Amino acid sequence: MNRLRPFVFHQPTTLDEAVRILAAERGAARPLAGGTDLVVDMKLGRARPPVVVNLKRIRGLDRIEPVDGGTRIGALVRIAAIQASAIVRERYPALWRASCTLATPPIRNLATIGGNLGRGSPAGDMAPPLIVHGALVEVEGPGGRRTVPIQDLHLGPGITCLAPGEVITAVVLPAPPPHGGSAFRKLGKRGGGWDIALVGAAAGLVLGGDGAIADARIALASVAPTPFRARAAEAALRGRPPSEEHFARAAGIAAEEARPISDVRASAAYRRSLARVLVLRTLRDAAGLALDAAVPR
Amino acid sequence: MIAVTVTVNGTRHDVEVEPQVTLLELLRERLFLRGAKEGCGVGECGACLVLLDGEPVSSCLVLAADADGRAVETVEGLARDGALDPVQAAFVDHGAIQCGYCTPAMVLAAEALLRRSPDPGPAETAEALAGVLCRCGSYPKVLAAVAAAAATKAVR
Amino acid sequence: MTSVGRRVPRVDAVEKVTGSAVYGADLALPGMLHGAVLRSPHAHARIVAVDIARAERVPGVRAVATGRDVPFTFGASIRDQPFLAVDRVRFVGEPVVAVAADTELQAQAAVELVDVAYEGLPAVLDARSALAPDAPLVHPDLHAYPRGNHEIVEHSNVDTVARFRHGDLAAGFARADVVFEDEFSAQALSHAALETHVAVAAYHPASRGYTLWTSSDRPFQLRGELAAALGLASSQVRVVVGYVGGSFGGKNTLVAEAVAVALARQAPGRPVRVELSREEDLTASQARMPALVRLQTGVLRDGTLTARRAEFLWDGGAYASNAVGVAVRGPKAVFGPYRIPAVEYESRMVYTNRQPTGSYRGYGTTQAAWACESQMDMIARRLGIDPLEIRRRNGYEDGDAWINGQVMHGLNAREPLERVAAAIGWGTVDRAPAPHLRRGKGLATMIKETATPTSSNVVLKVEQDGRLVVLCAAPEIGAGQATVLSQMAADAVGVPLDAVSLPPADTATSPYNGPVASSRTTFHVGNAIRTAGAEIRRKALALAGDLLEVDPADLDLSEGVVVARGVGPRATLGELLARRGAEGCSLVAEARYSSAGSPLLAADPGLGSVSTIFWMISAQAAEIEVDTETGVIRVVRVAAAADVGRPVNPVGCEQQIEGGVVMGLSNALFEDLVLDGGRIANGTLADYKVATLQDVPEIVPIIVESDHPEAPFGAKGIGEPAAAATAPAIANALCDAVGVRITDLPLTPARVLAAIEAERAREVAAGGSTNRS
Ligand SMILES: Cc1cc2nc3c(=O)[nH]c(=O)nc-3n(C[C@H](O)[C@H](O)[C@H](O)COP(=O)(O)OP(=O)(O)OC[C@H]3O[C@@H](n4cnc5c(N)ncnc54)[C@H](O)[C@@H]3O)c2cc1C
Ligand code: FES
Ligand code: FES
Repeated sequence: MNRLRPFVFHQPTTLDEAVRILAAERGAARPLAGGTDLVVDMKLGRARPPVVVNLKRIRGLDRIEPVDGGTRIGALVRIAAIQASAIVRERYPALWRASCTLATPPIRNLATIGGNLGRGSPAGDMAPPLIVHGALVEVEGPGGRRTVPIQDLHLGPGITCLAPGEVITAVVLPAPPPHGGSAFRKLGKRGGGWDIALVGAAAGLVLGGDGAIADARIALASVAPTPFRARAAEAALRGRPPSEEHFARAAGIAAEEARPISDVRASAAYRRSLARVLVLRTLRDAAGLALDAAVPR
Repeated sequence: MIAVTVTVNGTRHDVEVEPQVTLLELLRERLFLRGAKEGCGVGECGACLVLLDGEPVSSCLVLAADADGRAVETVEGLARDGALDPVQAAFVDHGAIQCGYCTPAMVLAAEALLRRSPDPGPAETAEALAGVLCRCGSYPKVLAAVAAAAATKAVR
Repeated sequence: MTSVGRRVPRVDAVEKVTGSAVYGADLALPGMLHGAVLRSPHAHARIVAVDIARAERVPGVRAVATGRDVPFTFGASIRDQPFLAVDRVRFVGEPVVAVAADTELQAQAAVELVDVAYEGLPAVLDARSALAPDAPLVHPDLHAYPRGNHEIVEHSNVDTVARFRHGDLAAGFARADVVFEDEFSAQALSHAALETHVAVAAYHPASRGYTLWTSSDRPFQLRGELAAALGLASSQVRVVVGYVGGSFGGKNTLVAEAVAVALARQAPGRPVRVELSREEDLTASQARMPALVRLQTGVLRDGTLTARRAEFLWDGGAYASNAVGVAVRGPKAVFGPYRIPAVEYESRMVYTNRQPTGSYRGYGTTQAAWACESQMDMIARRLGIDPLEIRRRNGYEDGDAWINGQVMHGLNAREPLERVAAAIGWGTVDRAPAPHLRRGKGLATMIKETATPTSSNVVLKVEQDGRLVVLCAAPEIGAGQATVLSQMAADAVGVPLDAVSLPPADTATSPYNGPVASSRTTFHVGNAIRTAGAEIRRKALALAGDLLEVDPADLDLSEGVVVARGVGPRATLGELLARRGAEGCSLVAEARYSSAGSPLLAADPGLGSVSTIFWMISAQAAEIEVDTETGVIRVVRVAAAADVGRPVNPVGCEQQIEGGVVMGLSNALFEDLVLDGGRIANGTLADYKVATLQDVPEIVPIIVESDHPEAPFGAKGIGEPAAAATAPAIANALCDAVGVRITDLPLTPARVLAAIEAERAREVAAGGSTNRS
């Protein structure tokens, strides 16, 4: 079987130290979280970093905690912990759903949310729901701390806006809007929802006092070089009633504005069809939750 | 070299490993615990599944260095004084074993599931064990075995 | 209490569930080196230069082998394959240079430092282009290779031609009301056994011999192939096989073995271990052979089949490996378990520049049944006949003549189909739970013969403590061989099951056996065990008679205890042997069973070589749910029945049936080794997906029984037929659900959706008519 090639291994216990090492090594060093992407890439020879910096000895990055009405999820929080979190489950259904279908338990117990974003994969499951939830990414680097809106994090396949030495420390989710609902669905190679997404879709709807859609967010995985926000489809929903007719129209627009490619997993045409179907279905799901939230009990 | 102290099936081991050594390699090649198998080495098959602090993980993706200070359980640790644990016994009794290459991983995944959720339904079991591939297709009998093990454990 | 027929736990279960079973991959020998392989990045190229100097200097490296160091070729039917490529590479992934080092890491690092210069050659990437008159030749020297007596076309890419004909084809087609002509394709698949190919080889300079510890289903055939390749006497090679982590027809040629042997020659006295990575296993070990099947079938209006002609074009890959037999024998299954008065097939296999191919659970029947059973449904639909009814109308009965005139006895031809149809609720329609979902049901049935003639030998030995040892080269590949053989041995001798042991197969100590393949083990080895067991029994009773001074005729052996009639238990087998005291004693018996010469094999003149010692018939019924918006198929339920003769262990039969459905479903829906410019585009398990526990439907296993006159304890076989009917059953259910017919595998969501959309467009064009044919 494939063996990992030797590398220099650092296990800093503070963020400052990690940033210092990563910055000093410039592009030669890679941060290691759960390793479910990095170790795989290294074993298959897709990545050969001479230096690996283990982030897991740094304390405090693995907590889900309330902040200013919202929620802060540390970069080292494992997908299994997101799945197990009552807060996420109740307040951020799209993210929770995505955590339930990201790989399988022995991977979910290792994989982290920071690693999923740091990888920069357009197929990653975390970005679309985080876009829908309006998350901000906290980044710490040689130049100090900065905050990046989640949809600005990814620049291309495998490319993020992180400079050498910068690491993701957390994502911050604002308080969910009242009368809102969100959902996530994906379709993988085996037809079920647990493989890498052929297409993944997250949608969020907020209903206004008049019952019309006050705000809509739609984000897709695997249909563009980066996680894709379907802005035209969102615009087509704002101010409209949450009806099947408008959902179908928006889904069509989202499929049109997506820019999928053909690869071994699926053709561009099939991805486009899936984008339409999944957006439609997530909109229905989201509307269901939003309506539940809007109905006074 | 990195000094690693790891407890495996209740026994403490102090070892020195190179950074690139995985937990699976440590178990199989240094501690001679060959129950965990390497079916792919890249997280896809689950044959290398062991329990790390009680949670199932693919040990082919875990650096041995990251097991420092932690507790590992492998299939070799389940039977006590030659008596099979209820999950193992159920696998035997319900024919949940064919070539057996996935069996240690399946058994451990089931063990972890039943500790967390003593009476899982078939859907929950399927989801919990989906990370382990069985090319022989023992799945239906694995489901039956897990249900039976749950019943046995409940009686105890 | 007898053991045969009971649901006993597998004899290997405790070892396997405690992690103590030793597989090929677990073997570690003193002084063992670890190998790694440099593989070709080209589908077809000339090797211009090889430079190993840098690799040799890597610390820990003990041997580097190139093709020139191992100037031999191997191959089960055609000796066309080098241990390591010489002068030319013929597929992406072909081994070129191998390195043995103290650690696997060192070997893998060293391999990267080997420099090979190639000069690209035009490649042949599919079977049809291999036939083109100006196609590049994958093996210009084909005519000169040592080979068996099968037909080839010299100076072409055609490395196998096989034909079969029976009955008056012209008359059959002339009599038909309708002649159907359709084409089907089956894709390349990986066996994907959870244990990848792995072997340890040692070279013994003194005897010039080798020992090979490996995971293989055929120790003796492997030994023969290796000895022939190296120009050694067969006993100079010893093959030892412990537990095998799955085979499915995949572990039967020299894969890891060839590289391990090449390296062992360069490192005398040091065993060398070679384990394929999963990626190597997927892309460079042999695949299930892709096939194009053209079927022409004549039918009367009432559905009666009058004639069938089949053309097979097999994409054999870069080396013939063990695919020749598949191309020769596999097509027989295309006639299904149906009475067809006139049949013919022409089967051609071609070399292409893709990974070698070979046998796969079913030996060609998965491809043949895909074509046969898909077309049966197409015929039924067109003629407006119920798919169950058309199969009934044409189905074999006991006593019918098979395609070569051999009279079919010892099979239960009808029951599998009837039982699965009943189990699935054939004829009733289940409503789907949502408007975008459609439900459908489909049937498929198939027939498989077994390799004939073959033979099995066993030696039974009673140890000093009374335990019964079965020496037999029938490795436990996962299918339950060890258990059924132990059960039969226990009953044949009269000892309890837990007194029987089966040591690892070892050509140095086990007598000859055919391969653990073709679902033949239970029947053939079982027959030998039955004979040898009776002999041991006789010897044990004679010994008891001697020692107890009783007439052996008044003694019986049961549960390991000698019982005197009217007196009661006298002594256990162990006590008996102990009475020999210091003088010592063991009881030994050997026996051989061969299917050759059985009167059951009588056939029409000239067609006797096609005869089979038994048939296996199986049937499956699938209920599926199709998402008409995504094309995703969810299999809801599968009922699967197989005629096994008598089950030695019903649990084992169920395991095979269920496992076959799981594999068949996975093959039908998810799997495909996709070739892109000569390279496998999805050569990792991340992209080559196989079924998980979450993909598995409810499976109803049904064991059907029959009486076979030569079957030991009534048992025939089961391993292969379990998998072949699943794909066509699902495709037929798809057609039932949404009216689309897909003739290419796999049934991917994209393909299903495209077919549904095309059908919708056709309906719109036809003015909204919903006629489906
Ligand atoms: C079998 C299998 C199935 C999978 N299925 C899915 C799936 O369904 N959906 C899905 O989205 N993914 C899937 N993945 C991919 C992977 O599990 C996820 O992307 C995971 O979240 C990565 O997290 P990690 O902690 O393991 O990252 P690592 O592998 O540790 O790191 C990934 C990358 O991010 C960088 N990185 C890590 N942490 C940080 C940080 N804090 N700041 C900046 N950069 C960082 C690393 O340097 C590396 O480049 C699967 C992987 C496997 C092996
Ligand atoms: S070996 Fe670890 S998941 Fe396959
Ligand atoms: S029993 Fe063979 S892989 Fe599961």
